[in-house]
Amino acid sequence: MSDAVMLSLAARPDHVLLADCIAADRFAGLDANAIAALPVVHGRRPGTLGEFFKVRGGHSGVVRIEGDVSRVDGIGTGMAGGELTIDGSVGRDLGLAMSGGRIDIHGNAGDNAGGAPPGAARGMSGGEIIVRGNVGDEAGARMRRGMLAVTGDGGRGMGIGMIAGTVVVFGKAGLGAGRFLKRGSIVALAPIDRPATFRYACTYHPPHVGLLLRYLRSGVGVPVADRYIGGRYERYSGDLAELGKGEILQWVGE
Amino acid sequence: MKINGVTIADTFAEAFTMRVARLVITGRTAKWAREAATKLTGFATSVIGCKCEAGIERELTPTETPDGRPGISVLFLTMDKASLPEQLIVRVGQTVLTCPTTACFDGLPDAPDRLAVGKALRVFGDGFQASKVIGGKRYWRLPVMEGEFLVEETFGMLKGVGGGNFLILAADADAALAAAEAAVDAMTSLPGVILPFPGGVVRSGSKVGSKRYKNMVATTNDPFDPTLRAITQTALPEGVNSVLEIVLDGTDAPSIEVAMRAGIRAACRPGVNSITAANFGGKLGPHHFHLRKILA
Repeated sequence: MSDAVMLSLAARPDHVLLADCIAADRFAGLDANAIAALPVVHGRRPGTLGEFFKVRGGHSGVVRIEGDVSRVDGIGTGMAGGELTIDGSVGRDLGLAMSGGRIDIHGNAGDNAGGAPPGAARGMSGGEIIVRGNVGDEAGARMRRGMLAVTGDGGRGMGIGMIAGTVVVFGKAGLGAGRFLKRGSIVALAPIDRPATFRYACTYHPPHVGLLLRYLRSGVGVPVADRYIGGRYERYSGDLAELGKGEILQWVGE
Repeated sequence: MKINGVTIADTFAEAFTMRVARLVITGRTAKWAREAATKLTGFATSVIGCKCEAGIERELTPTETPDGRPGISVLFLTMDKASLPEQLIVRVGQTVLTCPTTACFDGLPDAPDRLAVGKALRVFGDGFQASKVIGGKRYWRLPVMEGEFLVEETFGMLKGVGGGNFLILAADADAALAAAEAAVDAMTSLPGVILPFPGGVVRSGSKVGSKRYKNMVATTNDPFDPTLRAITQTALPEGVNSVLEIVLDGTDAPSIEVAMRAGIRAACRPGVNSITAANFGGKLGPHHFHLRKILA
């Protein structure tokens, strides 16, 4: 048993590498050889994780990935616990349908981060994803529970079809954020394009937002300015074309 | 044993095992946190008549609270497991939920026994309530006319100690009160301890049962009543004309001991004859606080 499992990118993939075997809780029960033998798909060809990554350590729920894995998709798929840290950008489908643990990305993430598999009713159902950069389209799509925090910008359709949970976006969010939201919260610290089916409710100090942002600052190490923690937010209820019990909270000042 | 000329009786305070919860109430200002805490802990002096005992443990700075606002830490005790959540649900619902700007957090996060207080209060939201999981803890957001009330879903419960005590026997009422106030000042804000009675002081210490009324659970402690010295089996030394009691509840016995030590030392001042303690012969309560051992 080691303190952490380290994955170092040994060979940059020529094509998209689908590595949905990488999950912190899964590695907790495996040694280095077993981790290296886990299946991946490179292009359309099957392979093993060890063909692309040098694996150090095993039997640990703390995982660190080094190297540019922006062409690696599906990292953290179905993850149910543990900690996964990536020093760089990642491909699409990060934390797909994850249910627990924390994924911390020091870079950008592709489309559908924290989202749902094709055809699935639910995306992420627990845990936390921290992206210290930008995310692609439809981040947090159909989220049922959990939290996705993005310190940069969000793409189109952020939190689309959310059932519950929380998405925090520090930068701009693209068109269609929160569309078809049933419950759940999108906390926007910068301008956000709201669907027309959201209706203004009030401007206030939501106590849970202050608590959440303080947690991100002290518990996760994300720099959050005081003006957001104690700030006023406009509350927009929606999506009124759906259940309408969700919200977009837009920061408007101290 | 004497401290500043005050005799410390060779006896012990007898205390009971109770169930305790710690609540952290925050507000936009310390004033509003205190307003809620004062109402929450009102009419909670003794389980004999109030079904619970509660008090303010200490004020909390913004750096000590979950939401970074000024706060008050409150301890809440009952005799059994079942009545603690009952009391908390009713009291938090009527005093903290109603108080402007406040939020209510668990102050015993590591306690394995959990009381579903926020979970019960959530129904005030009439279906408009929402929950959030932040840092692994679930909170309930209740829409209210002011905005939102935030309350943690569960609160921790531990075995605590209730009924630590000491009696100040003084030459007159003024001296007894001055000594009691000094003791309370010395014990206020010590961690893990509350003084549930008004101003931390009891003038009507009681004995178990009654000599005359069968249905009375507690009646006046006549051996310590100076006005009954001539007609009852008095416990008062000569020259004692007034007695006040300090009752302490806490999260654990060591916290009670620390507070009793500070309080008794502060109470040993001019006009005080002796310090003693109330017990039931050691047969009722499992916690015995021997005065001389504490002060040694």
